[in-house]
Amino acid sequence: MKTKRVLLACALGLLVAVSAPAMAIAQVLQPVPEVVAPPRAFKTAEEHYNYLKRHHRGGTVHTHESVPKWEGLWEASYNSIALRGGVSPFFVGPIPPGLAAGGEVAEGVLTPEYEAAFKQRREHMIPFNEQPYDRLTTCEAVGPARWLLEPYVREWVNTPTQSWWMNDLANETRRVFINQDHKNIDGANSPTGDSVGFWAGDQLIVWTNDMWPADYFRGYPPFSNEMQMIEVYQLVQEPNGLSRLEAQVTYYDPISLAKPLSGVYTWTRATVQEDAGYRIRHWDCDSNIQQKDANDLTTIRLPGEDGKTWHQHRNPDLPADLSGQTKTPGEVDFDSLIGSAQ
Amino acid sequence: MAVAALACAASATVAIAHHSFSMFDPAQEIVLEGKVVRWAFTSPHTFMIIEDAAGKVWAFEGAAPPALLARNPPMTGDTFKGGDPITVIMCPLRDGRAGGASGLFISADKVVYNPADAGCRANQRIADWPAWIEKGYKSLADAKAAGEAKAQ
Repeated sequence: MKTKRVLLACALGLLVAVSAPAMAIAQVLQPVPEVVAPPRAFKTAEEHYNYLKRHHRGGTVHTHESVPKWEGLWEASYNSIALRGGVSPFFVGPIPPGLAAGGEVAEGVLTPEYEAAFKQRREHMIPFNEQPYDRLTTCEAVGPARWLLEPYVREWVNTPTQSWWMNDLANETRRVFINQDHKNIDGANSPTGDSVGFWAGDQLIVWTNDMWPADYFRGYPPFSNEMQMIEVYQLVQEPNGLSRLEAQVTYYDPISLAKPLSGVYTWTRATVQEDAGYRIRHWDCDSNIQQKDANDLTTIRLPGEDGKTWHQHRNPDLPADLSGQTKTPGEVDFDSLIGSAQ
Repeated sequence: MAVAALACAASATVAIAHHSFSMFDPAQEIVLEGKVVRWAFTSPHTFMIIEDAAGKVWAFEGAAPPALLARNPPMTGDTFKGGDPITVIMCPLRDGRAGGASGLFISADKVVYNPADAGCRANQRIADWPAWIEKGYKSLADAKAAGEAKAQ
């Protein structure tokens, strides 16, 4: 029992460490949300989704007035899958601190092929004490699984026909089409896949398919291009009056998972950022471009290393000295600084 | 339990950015003095560009704006302006180019800012670095050689 309390305390402590420092300790020291397993075992996300839709008699048809409002900035808080909770089904015992190497990979969670791949990834991390190359290096979209727990902030905007989930990270927006069927006229998977959903009172139930293969987080297992997810969202009011958005998520991936995997993710309002006037802007990936080096490691291109200004990069057909072509009036061109000095 | 939670929090090393930090050397913490050339308060990473006394321009990557707004003291796009004197404690790029990961910024009026992402852990020595700089240390190695950083 004492061990369990210490583990819970460590989980909460890690949450404190990965959250904004201004997050009130009282807010953090709430009961850890329980993972709610699906009402019964399902083989596929489609079975799971259709069962829930039948259970909720087709769901609730909301109007603009009645649809739950989750506006504002939110930041990732506790989850049971990776990084922010101190625990993960992919490791035995507490997870390695931060994104460090080490830890004991839990066996039997992944299929043998993906378990071996995950162990290979963890082995590869040891000399660097972290994953030395991350696919996000080139500003690739994180994908829905990682979207749930990444840092930065995000917004949820619900309408009766769509929900728009906007993440500061890579500015990746998920669109959930309410009371609609999956459509894929592209004939291909996409970074965020295709999400459909329905409301059951104040719960939003979402089914996502057709995603690119990706990962749960840096240093965590990959999943395949057959991954599908069921997410059940609800705004929870804590006894102390604070709001927490919670999602019970079940992953279905016959290629990478030995059996469907469930977890819980939570978010709290980013009041510090809101009070400071923060607004999500488009990412500025040109100012500090990450790239893969000759050894397959992440590195950065320093501004101006190739001798071109930002304007020259984006307007090769225009005069190099054209007026008014820095990002902000009066600004020294970012890319010209180092290039001109070396 | 709250004490245990905080103890675990204090011991955690957290990376919260979108890419690996393996290109930076966290074992080195180096002091650079110069003037701000450009402070870019941009996502996915902030960037501090300074010019040192020899006229060499350096660029340092830091945490993203949402994180810096929650630091103490907070930082915005107006916190540092071109021409401001600044001291940077940084962890250099392993390949020797003129850049690195931001660790700490110290302004002319001695305010210590923590802009670090997980590429540099100088912020874990935020209470030590101002005094070490007063003593003339130019790196974590200097502090260690003087017996100041034994417990680090």
